[in-house]
Amino acid sequence: MGLANSLDAYLILAGVLFAIGTFGFLARRNAISMLMSIELMLNAVNLAIVAFGSFIPNLKADGSIIALMVMAVAAAEATVGLAIIIAIYRNRKTPLVDEYDAMRR
Amino acid sequence: MRGWLYLLGAAIAGAVVTTPALLVFVLGGGSVDDALFVALGTLMLVSALLVVTMRDIIQCGLAMIVAFLALAGIYVVVGAPLVAAAQVIVYIGAISVLILFAIMLTQSKAGPARLVFQTQAAPAAVAAVILAVLITLGVSATDWGETAERARLATDTLALILFQDYVLPFEVVSVLLLAAVIGGVFIAKREEDPG
Repeated sequence: MGLANSLDAYLILAGVLFAIGTFGFLARRNAISMLMSIELMLNAVNLAIVAFGSFIPNLKADGSIIALMVMAVAAAEATVGLAIIIAIYRNRKTPLVDEYDAMRR
Repeated sequence: MRGWLYLLGAAIAGAVVTTPALLVFVLGGGSVDDALFVALGTLMLVSALLVVTMRDIIQCGLAMIVAFLALAGIYVVVGAPLVAAAQVIVYIGAISVLILFAIMLTQSKAGPARLVFQTQAAPAAVAAVILAVLITLGVSATDWGETAERARLATDTLALILFQDYVLPFEVVSVLLLAAVIGGVFIAKREEDPG
């Protein structure tokens, strides 16, 4: 079968993981759950990048390096995102995003 | 009684993860890499589904750690050991701990008891399934010009390229991390005495 040696298998795995993350981001009410779904989506993209770097001969090490950069940016995003959620929680006393309606009223 | 239920759940979960891998191992001529890929992929997808569907958000965070760990294993299978190590250090060591602490700081007693999903959960599920099908079809239909074997990347080669061709992005990322740390501390800081 050679699943571990086929680029398509990795890309489909990454695509399904990305779809799961999309569902979580759209459907969950808790802001931290949405952030976790974003992390899942970033991981899916990273898997696709690393798989491309491993199978396309022209890319050599570029895939892995881009994946490392994405990880660093994801860490920065998680830091700022969680800080914002904690700051909002301190004002509104709820982590649920559908109760953040101060600008709708 | 409760302990037996947990044990039963763990046994069912282990069977779900290992059965496809064993099938691939037996039917596919005994390739260990294929079996590992299927086992880790199944583990990752199952725990990712648990992350987006479970009621208790602490359990969601723990399932997310399992998903990250399985993904690190997949990085090893695809031939990028340094990325796998960075995945363990950055995601499991740093981001997961950060998220678990944020959960503890923002958990209210009414949180887990109430509804988990928004009202648009059903359309979101349909959209996610359509997205997965579209990606699968697009990937299958495209010829990427890939090699038949995956290349295993040596870490010293990666280090040479990282510190020769990619020095500028590397430094920019370090500045970005510094800015994110300062910004995170500033935003999350409690305002003791205004003015």
